[in-house]
Amino acid sequence: MARPAAVARSPIPAFGSTDVVAGWEVSQTSRTSQGATLELIDCMPLTKVLVRGAASGAVADLLKTPFGRASRTLSGVLTTACRPEEWTLYAVPGSAPRLIDKVTKRVPAGELVTLLDITHGRTLVRLTGSRGPDVLCKLCGIDLSDAVTPTGAALRTSVARLTVELVRDDRNGVCSYLMSCDRSYGDYFFGALLDAGTEFAIEPQGFVLPGI
Amino acid sequence: MILIPCPNCGPRNASEFRYVGESIARPDPNSATQEQWRAYLYERVNPSGWTTESWFHRAGCGRYFKIERDTNSNEVRAVRLEPAAATKGES
Ligand SMILES: [Zn+2]
Repeated sequence: MARPAAVARSPIPAFGSTDVVAGWEVSQTSRTSQGATLELIDCMPLTKVLVRGAASGAVADLLKTPFGRASRTLSGVLTTACRPEEWTLYAVPGSAPRLIDKVTKRVPAGELVTLLDITHGRTLVRLTGSRGPDVLCKLCGIDLSDAVTPTGAALRTSVARLTVELVRDDRNGVCSYLMSCDRSYGDYFFGALLDAGTEFAIEPQGFVLPGI
Repeated sequence: MILIPCPNCGPRNASEFRYVGESIARPDPNSATQEQWRAYLYERVNPSGWTTESWFHRAGCGRYFKIERDTNSNEVRAVRLEPAAATKGES
């Protein structure tokens, strides 16, 4: 079957051969590197929706995620609150219109809420592995211990001198961080993380559905 | 590293913030003289000791807040958010 045409690309250059997933050109994960103990995944295809609204209003009631936390209160959606009165929703590729519609329907007339599809405006990567905190502590000043930033912690801070949204979102009991920065810094950010992780045998990985 | 205690995010490296400056009362634009405006815009006390100043958490919560800081030791005491109208600005 002919390969479908890609309509979008990540700012992170492809490593190895490529495939098309949900309209995105993604790097193919090589068979030899599957099961790596420390991996950095280019998650650019995931839907990202920015929500701004009052801390006590219909949107806050719907998202149920206070400042500084991340949760999965909406089905299949990771909601993060890295700034007061602001949330970012992460979901499977191509789901932004449905997500925006779902939130819009819950907002009563007169409540001021901003919804913006920022899928293509932010670079998103996931760092998974027990040595993840060792990589990040080389690049940022946050206390990454379980006591201070357990799974479900969400914050905005400086990582590799960039403003980054950092979310601890463990997968199957393994330490994992979801990180996003402005799209244009994506290539640099991915490279900085790979450099910091070299001593821990970090491996870059391509995006695989569902990815969230 | 100088730690600045953001009232929202907790202590963070000073490089995450923008130093806004000493807190100065804004004169009434309808009645202030030119001298008063110049003093408001350009003149600072720059004390050797305790001062009250504004900081903006650029790489964090994106909010303005005030702290009392000893300019000799960088010790910080009282911290408070700016009034709501002034706290939402840059992204
Ligand atoms: Zn802050």
